[in-house]
Amino acid sequence: MSGRVLVIDDEIEMQRALRAGLGYHDFEVRAVGSGEDAIREVAAWRPDVILLDLGLPGMDGFATLKALRPAERSAVIVVSVMPDEKDKVRALDAGADDYLVKPFGTEELVARIRAVLRRQAAVTAGEPIVRSGDLEIDIGRRLVTVAGRSVRLTPTEYELLRFLALHAGKPVTHTTLLRQVWGDYAIGDTYNTRYVVAQIRKKLGDDPANPRYIVNEPGVGYRLEA
Amino acid sequence: MRRLTPYAIAIVGVIGVTSVIGLITSRASVQGLSAMYLLLILWLAARWGRWPAIVGSIASFMLYDFYFVAPVGTLSVRGTAELLELVVLLVVALVTSQLAGSLRRARASAESLTRESRALYEVATEALRSQEVTVAMAMLCERATDLQSVQRFALVAVDSGQASALAGVELTAAELKQAAWSHENGRSIGIAVRAGAVTLVGSHPGAAEAAYLPLASGVAVMVIESELAGPDELRMLAALIGLADLLLDRRRAALESERARGLESSDRLKTAILSSLSHELKSPIASLRAGLTALTSPQAGLQPDQRELLVDLDRQATRLDRMVGDLLALSRLESGLELETDAQSFADLVAGATRRLRVELAGNQLLVVLPDDLPPVEVDELQAGRVLANLLENAHEWAPPNGVIEIGASVREGVLEGWVENEGPPIPTSDLEHVFDTFWTRRARGTGLGLAICKRVVEAHGGRISAENRRRGPRFAFTFPLAPVPAVPAS
Repeated sequence: MSGRVLVIDDEIEMQRALRAGLGYHDFEVRAVGSGEDAIREVAAWRPDVILLDLGLPGMDGFATLKALRPAERSAVIVVSVMPDEKDKVRALDAGADDYLVKPFGTEELVARIRAVLRRQAAVTAGEPIVRSGDLEIDIGRRLVTVAGRSVRLTPTEYELLRFLALHAGKPVTHTTLLRQVWGDYAIGDTYNTRYVVAQIRKKLGDDPANPRYIVNEPGVGYRLEA
Repeated sequence: MRRLTPYAIAIVGVIGVTSVIGLITSRASVQGLSAMYLLLILWLAARWGRWPAIVGSIASFMLYDFYFVAPVGTLSVRGTAELLELVVLLVVALVTSQLAGSLRRARASAESLTRESRALYEVATEALRSQEVTVAMAMLCERATDLQSVQRFALVAVDSGQASALAGVELTAAELKQAAWSHENGRSIGIAVRAGAVTLVGSHPGAAEAAYLPLASGVAVMVIESELAGPDELRMLAALIGLADLLLDRRRAALESERARGLESSDRLKTAILSSLSHELKSPIASLRAGLTALTSPQAGLQPDQRELLVDLDRQATRLDRMVGDLLALSRLESGLELETDAQSFADLVAGATRRLRVELAGNQLLVVLPDDLPPVEVDELQAGRVLANLLENAHEWAPPNGVIEIGASVREGVLEGWVENEGPPIPTSDLEHVFDTFWTRRARGTGLGLAICKRVVEAHGGRISAENRRRGPRFAFTFPLAPVPAVPAS
């Protein structure tokens, strides 16, 4: 078994399709149709990944997300049919690990779930070195190398890269980055993050029009490819 | 009869003064009593005007001469002193009446000006105070008919050739028709206004025929007795007509803004309906795609031809999804979407768009031509990203398999000029101007929305977009504004 996935979606057809699709990829799948059921199921079954549709009837997706967070052990991928970037940011800031816009294909979903699981495993193992292609970030030793060659970063640049590395594969919102790297006073000034990311890319030899390491998430923030 | 009254008063007055002088001279000998006539003449001239005063002067002279100047009992003028007395009386009569007359006229005109300005003030304040402009219009018509010469006065609105009475006296159907004609042709009938002055044209005294004056947003219809229409009345009328013009204009502006509000809210409604409709459409598409792609995984154990069919179906579902998304995007843009602009790196936008289309673009060679020092653009990240994605998608549709698709940008004349070029067949010259039209498409399977969205987004940013045929193939070029240069942040 690749892992336990709990699907929270009120459409029966969607539940069945995902059960089949994820089942073919060796996931153990359970599905529920409401936030209330989801909370019970998470407590009882302890899934590795929760697939949460934001458009739930009754207790809505955000309320469910808030209620699920204390469980901590499960990664949450938020799913929504309307690609509103504000909702994505809100969900990520509320603790979601990733988001996916409906409709999506099974392959894409499987890739996201695997990435989330990988990240979870790395966090649990306390892995001190984060890799993204040939980029290595040794968090214990504050060392950044590209293909074995060390890269000198300013403290701000390193701090930003380190935060992305700690959440490798996960989109990190502009707000979170600003708060983590500069502090609360900088929130809203996305020019800072953009400028620093451009500097880091330059030093890593990354092409901004086709980045290998730090990827821009339009309307949301940045993500370190894992 | 009334016109003779002042003369009678003059004669009676002269007889009275003569009696008083007679009474005095019978008791004592007093010199220069003729001056008493002067008092009378002064009063006559001031109160009744020139002619009664002159009549009074002559009568005074004759009675004084007859009764008091020797030889008493005859009318004889002897010596210059007496003659002088007559002349003095006449001059006093003339000068005083002249002065008094001009004073009276000045006062009358001041009074009429006051009346006028009070009336105009009332109408104007009413117009400013009330939301409903018809109240002020009714008041204005009332003030107009208060004028002696104006027998009827009405204001008419003409909307799409149809005249309707707004305020004032009732009009016959024929008069309304005439008003509509006057408005349509911009021709006045029976009245002319030039440089703020009203003149009556060819109206016969006593004729009840209406005059029509077309104004910017309506017509003033009136019946005027030209005999009574003095300069004061005409001036007042001109002022009232000027005010009527403003009121009609205000009414039209109010109507138009109401209509615009209606359109706006219907636009919002349309977007809301489309928004919820797209939600409803997308949910089943999501289930479809999840199911179809589940079955295409090798573990599902389907035959290759069966899987191929499912892949085709999934592609259709994806297309349907995109169409729904495009329709919603277009509707939002048309109902005046607010842009959230920010300094954005163009390279980031390119990266986002190519990432979104990586499956489609895998079959092409993507060439990105960006100078290293390209300054940031001031755009809405998502909308601008949509422009690039739509242009790349369009290029992908037309480029031959494995053909080059070039995306690039440079700074030209203070704006960023970007382009997307492909090696596909040239666009027919006659089609070049239509490629951005909504629902216009060159192929049976296109939706005609992608490029239309591009045009709207680019124009919402104050930019331009155009299509041309290059040597290699069609090129779509667009402009985005550059971001203002910020202070370099501490790093």
